[in-house]
Formats: sequence, structure tokens, C-alpha cells
Amino acid sequence: MKKHRVRRSIVATSSIIGVAALLLGGCTADGGADGGVAKITFAASTFGDPGRGPLLTQWLEEFNKSQSEVQVTAAAVPYPTFGQTVLTQMGSGQGPDLIRFDMPEFEAASDAGLVAPLDDLVDVGKYTLLKQPDQFLVHDGVRHGIIFEASNYAMFYNADLIPKPPTTYEEFTATAKSLTKGDVFGLAFRQTEAEEAGVWQDIFNYVYGFGGKWSDGKNLTINSPDNLKGLQAYKDLYDAKVIPRGADAATFRRMFAEGKVGMELNNGGYVTATRGQNPNLKFSVAPIPFPVRSQGAILAPIVVNEASEEKEAAATFIRWALEPANQVKLQEILGASSVATVTERSAASLTKTPFLPVFDGLTESSLPQIVLGFEAKTPDIRKVVVQNVIAALQGQVDLKTALDRAQQQATELVK
Amino acid sequence: MRRLRIGLTLRIVAVLVVLGVAAFPLYWMLVTALSSNADLFAERPRLLPDFSQLGVFVEGLGDGKVAGWLLNSLLIAAGTTVLSIGLGIPLGYALSRFSFRGKALLTLVLLFTQMLPEALMVVPLFSLFRRFNLLDSLGGLILANVAFVLPIVALILKGAIDGIPRELEEAARVDGARPLAVLTRVNVPLIAPSIAATAVISFFHAWNEYVFAVTFIFTPEKQPASVGIANFIGELGTPIQTVMAVAFMFTLPAVAFYLFAQKYVVAGMTAGAVKG
Repeated sequence: MKKHRVRRSIVATSSIIGVAALLLGGCTADGGADGGVAKITFAASTFGDPGRGPLLTQWLEEFNKSQSEVQVTAAAVPYPTFGQTVLTQMGSGQGPDLIRFDMPEFEAASDAGLVAPLDDLVDVGKYTLLKQPDQFLVHDGVRHGIIFEASNYAMFYNADLIPKPPTTYEEFTATAKSLTKGDVFGLAFRQTEAEEAGVWQDIFNYVYGFGGKWSDGKNLTINSPDNLKGLQAYKDLYDAKVIPRGADAATFRRMFAEGKVGMELNNGGYVTATRGQNPNLKFSVAPIPFPVRSQGAILAPIVVNEASEEKEAAATFIRWALEPANQVKLQEILGASSVATVTERSAASLTKTPFLPVFDGLTESSLPQIVLGFEAKTPDIRKVVVQNVIAALQGQVDLKTALDRAQQQATELVK
Repeated sequence: MRRLRIGLTLRIVAVLVVLGVAAFPLYWMLVTALSSNADLFAERPRLLPDFSQLGVFVEGLGDGKVAGWLLNSLLIAAGTTVLSIGLGIPLGYALSRFSFRGKALLTLVLLFTQMLPEALMVVPLFSLFRRFNLLDSLGGLILANVAFVLPIVALILKGAIDGIPRELEEAARVDGARPLAVLTRVNVPLIAPSIAATAVISFFHAWNEYVFAVTFIFTPEKQPASVGIANFIGELGTPIQTVMAVAFMFTLPAVAFYLFAQKYVVAGMTAGAVKG
């Protein structure tokens, strides 16, 4: 009898919790205009970065203080599934009002008509935009985005472990090998399929750094001899066990911050993130010492969701962000990255980060990590290439066969 | 006698091994959360937690975000459990006891839904939820989870009801019990262990669910812990100790619920065992 009473009370309590959940859940989020104030959301994976995330949130607060009719809040979309989540939401006519995309997702979204044209919303003629990165944001004369962050790839190295940075590929491999001992690794890069986008970013530097490219603008060139050379270099380093195999980017970046990794190829945004993890780490930056001075760049445009009911409010935020003072602040938050407009590095930031000119000097030779001529198909091509390269890393197939297979599969995809 | 002792020792060792395998991830999360930066990547990993690092838990709970995520997870998991069992019992009963046209097909369709990956359902469910204004609400998320877990709950309960002799129901009817009373007073107590088992399945599914939650919920304050934890993973860095501390806290309510439900599974299985 007692047991029955206990069970009933449990059922009653559970039911109350369930009903409460339903009632609570029934209240949907506030959205759009509220008492004359347009509330917009801004999704950027950068909000989750240590060091940069909290500063970016403060930057948004500065916007909110400066406005009486528009208020922006950061939409929390986790980085690991950022593109997939936001594209699903946008594809169904929902999602954040403003989005900071990486290039592959930007191309896919603008090709699918999910991104609002900005020509009537932002008069870019008023601003001195950086031409090299900006050119990739205009499709057939229609502007789909403004650069939020442009960040060139360079070689980060632990200055305590490596007093003089390598300047050739041979020195690079020799340094990686000599440093790898005990719990210290000479190098780190992404090498698992779980980090598909990251592997693509990493192998991009090897392919372009050895004179290769993914396409000639009209046809895919995935299995070209130069690509094979670059990816063989990537595989050789993997086979030499100079990297912490199996470690994901979160882990090996933390290892770099703790002095357990000697070198890493990364973009300018990494400067603030690394200092955020270990302010005492002595590190520096040099150009990637591969045979050809050509490397990837993270171009991250800010776009307005075509489905947004507050496009004008979203454009207000972009116009505010493009103001010179706010561009300077944004650049300082983002670290060694560039922003949309031409800005001057302050003396204070040059003193604090003397290698900033290294990044700036790479702008002309940096390319967005997309397949030129097949921009909107980049995510699909990326999947095919990464899957095959990883299969070669794991010894399931030789690298040449893997690239031939990738070429064939990707060509089928883009037909 | 000696053989018995060896057998007992082997059994104890086997239980300890299984226990170790099951508990080790939880323990390792705790050790990682309580590791200093220097210990985190040391060549010889630290095997015991460093309790001087307990501050990481305070840090994790600091701004109240984590508590909010855990509360949301609790509401979603409890709502999913109550609703899926509430709907699963009559559905399982109908499948077990009534004959109707298309019953075999319906059972097959229910089974088929379990073969679909969640990711495949996201886009159609998103469009549907948008039409019914269920996006960005915990209620909507509960419904999505129930839709996914209800078939398996119903099928398990059907199997349990199949095992109850019909004579018991007939006897209750002879005593004047109405159909609802037959279900709630005769069948439900007899299938209590199965209900407890399905409660565990429903609760765990909703507690761990990520794909629907990350897509359907936009407001940070409404996110469950499964999504909240993923927010710590940044593009350029991840606070590993904090993630592990929050993940450790995230596992505890689920473990507590399992221990609570397990008692009823065992109680149900042994109920009546001593009656003549």
C-alpha cells in the first residue's frame, strides 16, 4: 500500500514537472520589434573563442549603447555544428538576422538565395574596403556580404623552443622531428574526419604552398602532380609521428599554449585566442616556409539572413561596424586579422605584437579556402577530398589513388 | 569448496572489471577537470584528481548559465519521459490487445521509424514546427523527442503486455472493472519494470539529445546542457578543464535518475515472487 502511494506521488511529481516544461516551453522567444526597438540576433562561432568571445560580446554592447532603436544579441550556436545548424535554420526561413560565415558556407548560402543582397542596405562606396578579400563577396555584381574578418595563414612557433624559425620545408621537417620528444611534439595539424572543415583548412596550405590548386577555374585539378606533392608532404609529416596523432584542434591548440607543441600553421585570429589561454607563452610568427609563397586565408563575411524581418536593423549594425573607430576596435579584438576596411595598426598593438606586419605582408598571396569556379560546391568537394586524404593517411589506400578517386568523385558531383 | 571459491573470485573480478569500464569515463572526466594546466599534457598523465583545482567547478557554475542549462535539460527530459510513457502505455496496450486492420503494418512502421537517423528528420520537423509556432520552445523540443522515442516505448510496452495472461483482465472485468481501470489497475502495475526501463530510455534520449536542440532552440537561455557544453568548444580554443567539469555535472542527474529508476525495475521484477 505504501509502495502504491510512493509511486503515485512520483507520477504526480513527474507530471507536474512535465506540464511545467510544456507550459514554460509554450512561451516562444521574443523576436523582432518590441516597443519600437528592433531586436536582432548575430550568430558567429567566434563568440565561443577564449579571449576573443568575451571581447566581441562587449563590442556588441557598445553598439547597443549607441542605439535607441536597434539592439543586437549574440546567438549561441556551437562551433562544431555551426554551418549545418545555421544553414538548416535559414533554409527553413528562420535563423539569426546576422551571421558571420566561413567562406564555404557563405558560398553555399548565397548560391541558395539564403543571403540578402546588401547593395540597397549598405552604401559601400562610403568605405575604403580591402580589395583582395572583398572581391570574393560579390557574385555577378550583387554584394552578399561584408568582410567581418580576413585572416591570413602563417607559421606560429614557440620562441622558447625554436629560437630561429625554419625558412625552408626541409628545415621545417627537421625542426619538427628534432623537437618531438616525450610529451612535446614538433608540429600539430588536424587529421581526423570529425574535423572535416579544419582538415580542409590545413591541407589547403600544403597544396598551395607546393604550387598546387584545387581547380583551374573551369575544371577540378584535385589529382594534379603539384597537389600530390603538397599532400605527400602533409602525409610524410603525419607518418613521421611529429604531430600528436588523434588530438583534435581544441587539444593541440591548448598543447601549443602550454608549450607542448613547437609549431602550428594557423591564422591571425589565433594570436588573441592563444594569449587568452596562456598570457605568458612566448611565441612568434613567420611566413609558412613552403616552396611557394601562397597560403589560405580565413575570409569570414558578415551577412544578412534573407529570411530576417529586420533587414534594415541588421544593416544598421553593419554600417555601425564599418565606422572607422569601430573597425579599429574590432581589429584589436580579432588579433592579427584584418577587418573590412583599411585600418592602421596602433603603435601599442605593434609593440605588444611585433609580428603583425608578417600577417599584413601575406594578404596579396593569400586565398580564401574555396574551390575557385566551384565556390558553391566547395562544402561537397571538401567532403570528398578530406575523406580520401584521411583514407590515405590511415593507410587504406596510397595517396595517388586517393586523389584520383577524389578527382573522379568530385567531378561527378559538380557535373 | 575450493572450486566454489575460485568461481566466486572470478565473478567478483568480472563485476569489478565491468564496473571499472563503465565508471572509468566518469572518473577520467573528474581527473581531467581537476588537472592543472601543467598536468593536462604531461607525459605521464595524472591518475588521481587534484582537489586544489576544485575552483573549476565554481568557475563553471559561476554565472548561473550552467545551472540554467541543466534545469532546461531536466525539464525536457522529464517532459519527454512523462509524455512518452503516458502515450506509450495506451498505444502499446492497443497494439497488444486489439485486433484492427493494418495492425501489423502499424507495428512495422513504428519499428521503421527507429531506423531513421535524427539528422534526416531535422529539416521536415523544423518546417512543421515553424508552421505550428513550436520553434525555440522547450515544449516543441519535448514533442520532437517524444516523436522519436514513442515508437520504441510503445513496442517495449506492447511486448510486456503481451506477456500478461488475458485471464487476469477477464477476472477484473467480471469484478466490474471498466476498460481504463483494467489498464491502469491490472496491466500497469504488472508492467512496472518495463515502464521503468522505458522511462530510462526516454529520459536518457532527451537528456543527451543534441541535433534537435541545437537546431530548434535559438535563445541561449533556453538551451539544454547538451548544447550549452558544445558552446565551450571554440574555433580557436577550448577550456578543457571547464568543459570536463560541466560535462561531469551534466552526467550526475542522469546517473541519479538511472539509480532511482533501477530500484523500480528490480522491485517490479521481484514483486509477487514470494506469494503462494
